[in-house]
Amino acid sequence: MRPHNSVQHPAAQLADLILVQLSNWRWAWPQLVLTGLVAPLASMLALSTVSGGANRSLNEHILVGMLMFALLFQNQNQVAGNFSFMKANGTLEFFAAQPVSRVLLAIATVGAFFLLSLPALLVIVVVGALVLGVGLSLSPWLLVVVPLCVVSAAGIGALIGSLTNTMEESGAASLVVTFLMTGCGPVLIPADRLPAAINAIGVLNPATYAASALRASLTGTVGSRLPVDLAVLALFAAGVLLLLVKRMPWRMRR
Amino acid sequence: MVAEPADSVSVSGVSVPDVPVFDVAGLTKVHGRERRVANDDLTLSIARGEIFGILGDNGAGKTTLVRQMAGLIAPTSGELRFMGTPVEEAERELTTQVGYMPQSAFALNNLTVSEAIFFTARFRGLSRRAARGEVARLLSQWAIEPLANRVAKQLSGGQRRLLQLAVTMAGSPPVLILDEPTNDLDPVNRKRVWHLLTAANQDGATIIFVTHDAVEAEKVVHRVAIMRQGRIVALGRPLDLKQEIGHRFRLELIGTPGDPPAPLARVHCTEVEPGRWLAILDKADVGEIMTNLDMQKFDDVRLSSSTLEDLYLHYATT
Repeated sequence: MRPHNSVQHPAAQLADLILVQLSNWRWAWPQLVLTGLVAPLASMLALSTVSGGANRSLNEHILVGMLMFALLFQNQNQVAGNFSFMKANGTLEFFAAQPVSRVLLAIATVGAFFLLSLPALLVIVVVGALVLGVGLSLSPWLLVVVPLCVVSAAGIGALIGSLTNTMEESGAASLVVTFLMTGCGPVLIPADRLPAAINAIGVLNPATYAASALRASLTGTVGSRLPVDLAVLALFAAGVLLLLVKRMPWRMRR
Repeated sequence: MVAEPADSVSVSGVSVPDVPVFDVAGLTKVHGRERRVANDDLTLSIARGEIFGILGDNGAGKTTLVRQMAGLIAPTSGELRFMGTPVEEAERELTTQVGYMPQSAFALNNLTVSEAIFFTARFRGLSRRAARGEVARLLSQWAIEPLANRVAKQLSGGQRRLLQLAVTMAGSPPVLILDEPTNDLDPVNRKRVWHLLTAANQDGATIIFVTHDAVEAEKVVHRVAIMRQGRIVALGRPLDLKQEIGHRFRLELIGTPGDPPAPLARVHCTEVEPGRWLAILDKADVGEIMTNLDMQKFDDVRLSSSTLEDLYLHYATT
């Protein structure tokens, strides 16, 4: 028997947890990318015929709306499913019985899904810009905006997966949240084409700020609104992660 | 040679306080809104270096007890201490010193066998190199080298159980809590489990396990707790417990499933599986019962001194 009080360095533990989560998905990542692509791309093609290619603002909204759709489908829904799966299979309990930090587990899961979602996001941006004729002018702010959007979406997913009792419940709840977040606010449709009530609700919807920040940093129209969007997103992401860590089923459950 | 302090013992050259590994006093666990009592006023102590078995029928509260010991669920009332510290304050000690194996074997289903052991060893503080060494050692020890690159979810129930045991022992934690370690295993592998657990115990590990397999557990266990309906109905060394129920014999009859054989009607007799009858007999009754038994009706008749299984049946069912 070796002396036992060793705990892994947090950086090493985070790296190992990300590897475990990525390894979990190595068998299914093509399907993951595909499901993250199919719905947004199909919707984008359908909406591009409606928009007629004339209205630049509308096309930018459609492109970013589809990115949000992919983020929500790929990150939020998948992370919700992953947490529910970990709960049902005893994986969360396995980690809880090891010298593993639940904060690092939450960050690693969100981080792993961020990496897995990158290919789909990239394809949607490139194909969307071509199909909708949106001129891209990428801002360095994207390096901050994309992770914040992903962490927020994945954090909501993790929270849904932790708080629901079954995988079915988690899937249904996540789907409802996806439609609410893309529908309630100027995410997919410009604000001037939405009823005032939806725009008012949209102020409370984090997807509104994520879409606004994504639009600005993809089309090079960074203005005074971006810091506000980033601040709201950062606060939201931090709040979701804190709530997740607090509510994740872990040790000494009652 | 440096003497150990009076209240310390040496484990692998490290001086540790000589307190019970687990000290349980008046432990009660009530589940959910329906207020189902899973553990009712349990009191026991498990010493360092013991092999401690927890026996009992389904729903007796064994798993609830060990899940509280592992710090996964909180007691409703009573005291539960790990190495002298209340479990609610001992997260670091419990997670670094206890290897807990739950009943279900699906936790690391998407990893390969090697990865599951490797990452567990890493989480328990081993360097990458040491963790790779641990993978090689445990694959060989549990005879699962051919499965090294197989994904856990593709394994049979028995293979998965062996992987689970290897994962639990990754990094050689000094305390092992094993919930049904021999479930799904064939006789050869059951024997391997008891052999390796005995070896780990000789190397200093304290082993606590839950089992239904009283016959095989008897070969390794130092003390047992027999549970029934959330309570401990017997606690001690198998030998002492056998003496408590008097000098008795076990009569095992293999025949046709159905009513108890006629001569056994007035003694406690259990059909432990269809067609397999077990009766615990007082010495004075043995002669009369054997004389009246119609041997033609049975495929096999065995008379022997009582075993841990008899104790289990005596305490858990009467």
